[in-house]
Amino acid sequence: MKFSAAAALFISLPAAACPGLELSDGWIREAPPGAAVMAAYARLRNAGPAPLSVEKVRSAEFGAAELHRTVVENGISRMLHGQILHLPPGASTALEPGGWHLMLFRPARPLKAGDEVAITLECGEAVQSFPFTVRNKSE
Amino acid sequence: MRAFKPVAAGFCAIFALGLGIWTASEWYAPAALPPIESGVLLPEPRPVAGFSLTDQDGRAFTNAQLRNRWSLLFAGFTHCPDVCPTTLSLMKLLEQRLQAEDRALSMVFLSVDPERDTPQQLHKYVRYFSPNLTGATGPVEELERLCASLGIAYVKVPGATADDYTIDHSAALVLLNPQGKVAGYFQAPYKLDSLAADLARIIPKT
Repeated sequence: MKFSAAAALFISLPAAACPGLELSDGWIREAPPGAAVMAAYARLRNAGPAPLSVEKVRSAEFGAAELHRTVVENGISRMLHGQILHLPPGASTALEPGGWHLMLFRPARPLKAGDEVAITLECGEAVQSFPFTVRNKSE
Repeated sequence: MRAFKPVAAGFCAIFALGLGIWTASEWYAPAALPPIESGVLLPEPRPVAGFSLTDQDGRAFTNAQLRNRWSLLFAGFTHCPDVCPTTLSLMKLLEQRLQAEDRALSMVFLSVDPERDTPQQLHKYVRYFSPNLTGATGPVEELERLCASLGIAYVKVPGATADDYTIDHSAALVLLNPQGKVAGYFQAPYKLDSLAADLARIIPKT
């Protein structure tokens, strides 16, 4: 009884936000109709006193989401999976085309420029959702 | 006067011969291309092996579609969320810039993922970027031969499921001349302004 009460309490508690994590200019590149994958970009900053590691991402709007990084080595473009983004205190980094990005699989609905989508970043036990705007952006 | 005639005729012959050689060299040897800042031009354009692919409308796409025009080719796949749409968006802007200057450049997106990129899928994909962008793909052996000949590489990388693979591929843009030969390469990361300036030096106004 004690255990289930504790479990219920634990489940009902919202997870702590990623301490000090700031996200700005979150955007998703509008994709051609029927595209099975999309990519999201943003600027991230750790305004807190402790190191942060963004390990996973998810969104109710997509079948799956992953943190990826594109690298060009010897003229070959490769996508690295299972990446962890480490942000020391005070550090900021850009998720941008041709580099770090959030890969978004199987959109639940067609997304058009101007649509807003929430994406959740997981930093260890903590999670935090941020708004991303769909944009038709060249370059 | 009599002595002068053969000498004058000789001069005329030499002049005519010289003119002929000069004209022939202008007509048959392509003029040296100017240096470019965002890529490399080959000292000697390289022929492309014979290939037979299908475009986004189910029509044949062969060496013939690379002749009589300058073409810019990018190899990728539609399940590529970052580099491919970024590069195709850039190609769309590049096309608009060159069109405004009356310079004709044909754009080609070569899908190296024929398993998932059917002509129908390619049609939806390329039309999103431009009404003039050609999408082409075909049997693996044709793609392999063409890519080897173009000097571009790709390799399939398995994912969590059989359908979930990705493809590492050359990030280069391949420039083909109106003889359908490889003229050079542009290398990522791309800057629209320098690419447009380079292509304006190479492609004459129509």
